Amino acid sequence: MNYLVLTPIVVVMIALRFTRLNILGWLAVWWIATYLAISYGINPPLPSSIVGMFMGIVTLALLAYLTVRTDDMNFVKRAAIRFLTDKKYTLPLAVTVIALPLLAAFNVYLSAAKAPQPPAAGRTIHPPPPTEITFKGKKIDLVNGVNPYRELQARDPEAFRAHLANGRKVYFQNCAFCHGDNMEGKGIFAHAFDPIPANFQDPTTIAMLQETYLFWRIARGAPGLPEESTPWASAMPAWENFLSEEEIWDVILFMYEYTGHKPREKEEVH
Amino acid sequence: MPAMLLAQEKILGTEAQREAGKKIYDQKCAQCHGEQGDANSVATPFFRPQPRNFTSGIFKFRTTASGELPTHEDLKRSIKNGMPYTGMPPWPEFSDRQLSDLAFYIKSFYPDFGEYGDVQPLALPKPPAYSDASAERGRAIYEENKCLDCHGNLGRGDGKSAPTLKDQWNQPIRAADLSKRWTFRGGPTRADIFRTFTTGLDGSPMPSYNIQPPEDQWALVDYVYSLGQSDQPNYATMAAAKGISEPIDLSRGKALFDNAEAALFPLAGQVIEPGREFYPGVNAIEARAVYNADEIAIMLTWHTMTADTLGHNSPLLPAPPFDPQAPLAQGGEEFSDAVAVLLPSKTPEGVEKPYFMFGDSKNAMDIWFADLAKDSAEFFIGRGSKSIEPAGNGGLSLVSHYEEGEWSVIFKRSRVREGGLSFEEGAFVPVAFTIWDGFNRERGNKRGLTSWYYLYLEPMHKESPLAPMTKSGLLTLVVLLGIVAFARIKYSGKA
Repeated sequence: MNYLVLTPIVVVMIALRFTRLNILGWLAVWWIATYLAISYGINPPLPSSIVGMFMGIVTLALLAYLTVRTDDMNFVKRAAIRFLTDKKYTLPLAVTVIALPLLAAFNVYLSAAKAPQPPAAGRTIHPPPPTEITFKGKKIDLVNGVNPYRELQARDPEAFRAHLANGRKVYFQNCAFCHGDNMEGKGIFAHAFDPIPANFQDPTTIAMLQETYLFWRIARGAPGLPEESTPWASAMPAWENFLSEEEIWDVILFMYEYTGHKPREKEEVH
Repeated sequence: MPAMLLAQEKILGTEAQREAGKKIYDQKCAQCHGEQGDANSVATPFFRPQPRNFTSGIFKFRTTASGELPTHEDLKRSIKNGMPYTGMPPWPEFSDRQLSDLAFYIKSFYPDFGEYGDVQPLALPKPPAYSDASAERGRAIYEENKCLDCHGNLGRGDGKSAPTLKDQWNQPIRAADLSKRWTFRGGPTRADIFRTFTTGLDGSPMPSYNIQPPEDQWALVDYVYSLGQSDQPNYATMAAAKGISEPIDLSRGKALFDNAEAALFPLAGQVIEPGREFYPGVNAIEARAVYNADEIAIMLTWHTMTADTLGHNSPLLPAPPFDPQAPLAQGGEEFSDAVAVLLPSKTPEGVEKPYFMFGDSKNAMDIWFADLAKDSAEFFIGRGSKSIEPAGNGGLSLVSHYEEGEWSVIFKRSRVREGGLSFEEGAFVPVAFTIWDGFNRERGNKRGLTSWYYLYLEPMHKESPLAPMTKSGLLTLVVLLGIVAFARIKYSGKA
């Protein structure tokens, strides 16, 4: 959120509340305010295609709002007819009729002048996991399973610390090159990959996921992703080929410990 | 409190400050720099340059004279900014106080801090404006001070002593490639460059220089600065191939690509499959491409300190084993430099591609391979790192050339391949690259690689946008006139 942009927008809108703006004015104000808020009020900025989509929805919503009251509808209709027929509006009408086609042509020019863009692949970031996977011949339940060493935290803190220390070693010898020393996805090789390595500090990654989900993603890596997640593009290795089951559970413990996030609890089915 | 103790406290911090620093250090720093600050850690064998050993009292980035300890602010700056293209990241999230606490704790690993009073920073003047004349004059100073012995004639890190360089701990170390300012460990600005050669980088072979008169110092800075184009690498996401009408004559070499735009792609070490390469010898590759009615040519260039043309290389050969405990092996006459262009074996429909490593069982990958010890190209089909098949030369021609620290390698092939990948005008073709640095003993899966990018064949004739522009303008005009006419006929005089 960029409050330097959002605050003035809200202030201006509140101020306008005290003026006698007619319905057309209000629709314009709302449209401009939402456009500014969506385009400049959000960090990181949204892609222009998404802004276009949102503004389409906002336009429809404002039109729907206009049609709620017959008085408003008639007011706008009369205003439009006056603009189109009344002699005193001839000049602005002529300007509009000439300017809009020119704008349309200019828009075509802009899109032709743009450098061609490589084909974009939509990508599901957190695809639904299978219910279970087989890890080196052993079945791992991804729905009801748990990290087998998690319970040591309460029962045997010393053993738990040993697992954490092992997880730390696994992380810094295997994961840090891409996911970074601080788990922000900014490792020494991160800039060479697209999709960029996951940022575990971000509250929308491991904080939202069960430990078994992480086990699946680490064990199967990019090659184990479903089609909609573009398995050919991600550089995430299938660690089942290089790490033991215990090493994977340990590194998961360490990732939560280091970031301070809590794993998502398994869903209770009632 | 006695004055001496107060002075000590200013340098070494209070017990509470060091304790606060230790807390952060143990969580964020110890995995690389070691619990005891001695760089004896789980991560140390996997990084080059290695994490700093704080018990040695040797620090690269200082504002103090060579051989002196850094100031408190120097330590804070190094932590905050990190060192690009090393394992040391920047830590922008630390507050000034946290940085200070950390610096106090780091000083506690080396007893000389505070022992002889506070260190005095050198006077580092504000940079005067850059000028081309000054940069030109700097060339002579660059030569006089033998900068080119390590950094090379054009500053590409390929000087004649470059392959022999070792740091204080007897680890191989590379001279900076001065054409890539974004990799400068001490920062890319002219003030950073001034500081680097004035103070030297202690522990590395980079000495300090006392150049007089002062204008000559800035002339050297300006010359070094002029060797690079930008502070940022500006990595590309695609390479655009230029359409040309004349035949593609490889004997013209680089001149063939004079009008083609260069696209720079970052290389990462292959750290996924066995044969892992944690410190690849090359960090970026530049691609240019041209095509005519029948053929396409791709030129790849990169900087490397030696042309390794002895020995041999191949994606089929086993990678040398990696032993984290053994000293880093480099050089020798067994491993040659090599490069590969990786492409899907079939023109892809949709966005699916082969797995970027060496293809997969479902989607095969074409590997255009050049062992630079030989003068012809080889061709392989990859269906994964363990199933790479040689397939003749794939109709590829090759020329390669090494000059002033730079390899340039050109592959050429006919654009159409029956039953395989064809390059069509206006099409985007997925492309990836791999470099094997012979000096780094890279071979097989031990390599520097890129992920997928695109090669785009720019249409030879760009269509004029005039026709669609007129069409869209006229259409809008007709609709508008229609609305006005409708309103005037129906409502004239009524509103």
